[in-house]
Amino acid sequence: MNEQPLIEVKNLKKSFEIKKGFLGQKKYLRAVDGISFAIRKGETFSLVGESGCGKSTTGRLVTRLLQPTEGEVWFEGSRISDLPESRMRPLRKHMQMVFQDPYASLNPRMKVKDLVAEPLLIHTKLTPGERDKLAHELLETVGLSSMHAERFPHEFSGGQRQRIGIARALSVRPSLIVADEPVSALDVSIQSQVLNLLQDLQEEYGLTYLFISHDLSVVEHISDRIGVMYLGSLVETADKDTLYDRPLHPYTQALLSSVPIPDPSLKRERIILTGDLPSPVNPPTGCRFHTRCPSCMEVCKTATPVFREVEPGHEVACHLYDEAVMGGK
Amino acid sequence: MAQHLLEVQGLKTEFKRGGGRIMAVSGVDFHIKKGEVLGLVGESGCGKSVTSLSIMRLLKDTPGRIAGGSVRFEGTDLTTLGDTEMRRIRGNDMAMIFQEPMTSLNPVLRIGKQLEEPIRIHLGYGRKQAREHAIHMLRLVGIPRAEEVIHDYPHQLSGGMRQRVMIAMAMSCSPKLLIADEPTTALDVTIQAQILDLMKRLKEEQDMGMLLITHDLGVVAELCDRVVVMYAGRVVEEAPVRELFADPQHPYTKGLIQSVPKLRHKVRRLDSIKGNVPDLSQMPAGCKFAPRCQFAMEQCHVQEPELVAVNGRSDRSSRCFLTQEPQVEGGGEG
Amino acid sequence: MSNHSTAEGAPPSVAASRGGSGSNSRVRAFFHTFSRQWLAMAAACFILLLFIIAIFGPMMMPYDPQAPDYDALMEGPSRAHWAGTDEYGRDILSRLIEGTRLTLAVSLSAVLIAAVLGTVLGLLSGYYGGWLDRLIMRGSDVLFSFPDLLLAIGIVAILGPGLINVVIAVAVFGTPSFARIIRSVTLSAKETLFVEAARSMGAGNGRIIWRHIFPETVSSIIVNISMRIGGAILAAASLSFLGMGAKTSEPDWGAMLSMGRDYLSIAPHIVYFPGLTIFLAVLAFNLVGDGLRDALDPKIKP
Repeated sequence: MNEQPLIEVKNLKKSFEIKKGFLGQKKYLRAVDGISFAIRKGETFSLVGESGCGKSTTGRLVTRLLQPTEGEVWFEGSRISDLPESRMRPLRKHMQMVFQDPYASLNPRMKVKDLVAEPLLIHTKLTPGERDKLAHELLETVGLSSMHAERFPHEFSGGQRQRIGIARALSVRPSLIVADEPVSALDVSIQSQVLNLLQDLQEEYGLTYLFISHDLSVVEHISDRIGVMYLGSLVETADKDTLYDRPLHPYTQALLSSVPIPDPSLKRERIILTGDLPSPVNPPTGCRFHTRCPSCMEVCKTATPVFREVEPGHEVACHLYDEAVMGGK
Repeated sequence: MAQHLLEVQGLKTEFKRGGGRIMAVSGVDFHIKKGEVLGLVGESGCGKSVTSLSIMRLLKDTPGRIAGGSVRFEGTDLTTLGDTEMRRIRGNDMAMIFQEPMTSLNPVLRIGKQLEEPIRIHLGYGRKQAREHAIHMLRLVGIPRAEEVIHDYPHQLSGGMRQRVMIAMAMSCSPKLLIADEPTTALDVTIQAQILDLMKRLKEEQDMGMLLITHDLGVVAELCDRVVVMYAGRVVEEAPVRELFADPQHPYTKGLIQSVPKLRHKVRRLDSIKGNVPDLSQMPAGCKFAPRCQFAMEQCHVQEPELVAVNGRSDRSSRCFLTQEPQVEGGGEG
Repeated sequence: MSNHSTAEGAPPSVAASRGGSGSNSRVRAFFHTFSRQWLAMAAACFILLLFIIAIFGPMMMPYDPQAPDYDALMEGPSRAHWAGTDEYGRDILSRLIEGTRLTLAVSLSAVLIAAVLGTVLGLLSGYYGGWLDRLIMRGSDVLFSFPDLLLAIGIVAILGPGLINVVIAVAVFGTPSFARIIRSVTLSAKETLFVEAARSMGAGNGRIIWRHIFPETVSSIIVNISMRIGGAILAAASLSFLGMGAKTSEPDWGAMLSMGRDYLSIAPHIVYFPGLTIFLAVLAFNLVGDGLRDALDPKIKP
C-alpha cells in the first residue's frame, strides 16, 4: 500500500551557532544531523533517545517552531520546511503540540476554558458562546469536568494540567499531534492514566502521533514504529516488535538492556556502556557511537555509516551491517 | 539480639504551611540491617524525601521539624543529639547523596577540595594524605583520569560523573549507612545503568547499609533487598523485594506495579489508579488511599487501618483491612 | 461522547478552598502580603488622604487660596491659620490643599504617559529584537545619560514654561526606565513554554504580545509607576521652584517653596510647610512602591 505518509522528513539538519571567546571562532552545535523518516496516517511514531540526541529539536522542526538548517519537511504531500511564517500559521491547525512540562505550558493567568479554546479562537470563526460549549465538551472528553472550565491552572495537579493541554491540542481536530515527553514529568500512577487517554483519543479521532520520549517502556507500550536517536542522528528505525525483539544497532541493544525492569526475578545480561555521552558540540568522528560501542571496528572511527534498510521496514546506520550487505546476502 | 543499623519508630514530621501545620510524615516505622538495601518507594507527596531528611536531621533550613518518634542509628537516638554530635555522624558514619548532581556540588570549588573536606574533618588526614585518599575514592567509583579530575570544577563534568563524585564523597569515610535520594532519576538511562551497577558493587564490597529512596520500581527491583511503600506520609506495605512484586498485598502497591509499563510485557491497556494523591492539608477520613481504591469497603472510609503483619510474618506488613480480614475464620490471626 | 479514565481526584470544593478562582486568590494573596508591611500600609493611607484632599479639596479649604489678606502678612501658624500665611497673606494650608490636586495631576499624568510609551516600546523592543531593539535601546541610553533634571530643564527650555510642558518633560525622562524594565520582562516571558505553546498553535505575534506577554509585565509596570511618582513630584516641584513650571500665583508646592525662599529668615514657615508636604508625599509613594514590589515580586507568586 503506497499511501502517502502524513509526515515525511528528508535529511533534516539543524545547527545552532555557539560563539566562542574573543576570537569569535564560531562553533556549531549540530543538534540534528541529517535524519529521515516518515509517519503514516493514524500511526504512533516514537523518537526515543537520551539527552542531547536531538529528539525534542526534531519535534520542533516538524512543527516548524524551529527553522531547519538543511533538509525538508513534508506534510500531507506539501513541503512546509521553507514556507514563510504567515503561510505556516494556518497550517498549524492541523498539527498541534503537547509539551513535557504541564506547569509551564499553560498560561497561569488564563482560565481553563480560554486555554482549551485558544486554538479555536485562532483558527475558527466561532462565537465565544460556541467556543465555550466546545471547551466544555473537550474537558469531559479528556476526563475532567466542565465545572473545571472557570478555574485556573494552578488549582490542578500535574496530571490534570496535562489533560488540559491535551484537550487544547484536540480542540481543532488536528491530523498530527506532536507529544514531547508528555508523561515524563508526571507521577507513575498518573502516567498510565494519561497514556490510556492518549490511546483512547487516537482510536476515537484517528489521530497520528509523533511521540517523543526517553522512556523505553512507555514507548514500547504506545508506539507502532520507533526511531532511536543518538547525538543528532537516527541509528535505527523499525516497527515496535522488530525493534524490541531484534535490535540491530549496538546502541539500541545497550539502551534496551539498561532499562531497569520492575521484576526482581529476572536475571539479565546487561550491556553496561563505558564512558559518558559525548557533548553534541564535539561529536566523535566517524560513527558518533564508536567511542562507547562494544563492537567498534576500525572503519567506525573514520567513516560515518549510512542509514539504510536492511530488511523491510527496518533501517540501521551501522557498519556491522554494511559487511553483511556487502558480504553477499 | 543484634540491634539494627537503623531503626525508625513512629517518626512524625510536620511542616508549617500558611497559618497551620501539616504532617508530612505520620508515624513511620522501619529498620535497616547491616549491609542491606531498603527501598523507600512512593510518589510525590508521600513523604519519602522528608523521611530521609528527618533521619539525617537536615530539616533546619526548611519549615519542617520532627514532631515525634525516634531514629536509632546503632542504638543512639539521633533525634536527641545536638548539632555538633550530629555533624560528627553526618558524612562519617551516615552519608547522603541527592537527586540533582547539578546542584549538590559547590560550583566554585574544585572537585578535589570538596572531596577532601569530609576526609579531613572526619578522618583527620593531613593535606597530602587526604588528596591521595580522594584520588583513591574517585578511582573506586570508576572515574577515569582521577588525578586530573581532582582539579576540575563541577561544571566541567557530565551529570553521570558528578553523581559519581557525589557517591565518592559520600563513601569517602566508609559510612555504615548510605541514604540515596533518587540518585539516578535525573540521569540518562545508560548512565543510570552504570551508576546502579556501581552501587551494587559498592554494596557488596563495603558491606554498607543503604536506604534507597525512589519512585522507580525498576530501580527497586535491581538494587533492593527489602521494600517499604509509602503513601500520604504513612507506610502502607513492607516486604522483601521478590515478594513485593510477586504478591503485593496493599491495593496501592498492586495499582502501582500494574500501572507501570514493563518492557517486553505487552498489555493492551495499562491499569491505572484513578484520582490524584490527596493534598496533605485535606486528607480524607479513614484510610488515606480509600478514595482511589478499587477495593474500598464502607469501613475504609471511616476508620484508618493499622499497619499489621501479614500471615504472622515479621518481615511483611500491610496497612489494609483486606489483608486483615481472615479474622472471620476461627483461630486465625490477621 | 465517552469519558476517558476520569480524574476527579480533586473535586471542585477542594480547589475552591485553595482560594477560589485564580485572580481572586492572587488578589487576596497580594493584600495578605502587602498588609503585613505596616510602614507601606501607613504610607498607603497617607496617599489615600492625598487623593481625598485632591478630590474634595475645594470643600475642605478653610480659605480661598488666592485671596490675599493684607492684615495678616507672613503670620506664623495660629489657630486661625494652621499653617500660617504667606507674603500676600494667603492661607498656606488652603494653598497646600489646592496644590495637592495640581501636584497629583501633574505627576500622575506624567508617569502614566511614560508608562504607556515605555511599555509599548519595551514590548516591541523585547519581542522583535533586531534593529528595532537596538534603535530603541540606544535611544533610551541617550536619554538615560542625561541627569533627569537637566533633561527636564532642557525640554522645558525648548517648549517654554508651563505645567503642560512640565508633564511632557517628566514623561519623556521617565519613558526609558519603563522601556528597559518592560523589555527585560518581555525577553524572559518570550522564552516561557506557554508562549512557545501559543506559537505552536498558530497564534500571531499580536496575540502573543497582547494576551501572553503583556499580562506578565503588569506587576512590573505597577511597581515602577509607584516608584516613579515620587521622583515626578520632586521633578515637577524643582521645575516650578526654578520658575519653569507653574506660574507663581498657582499654588504649586514647588512654586510655594520658591517664593518662600526670599523670606526664609523672617518667616521660615512659608518654606517649611510646602517642603514638608513634598517630603511626605514623595516618601509615602516610595514606601508604597517598596511594599508593592515586595508583594508583587513574580518570584514570590505561586
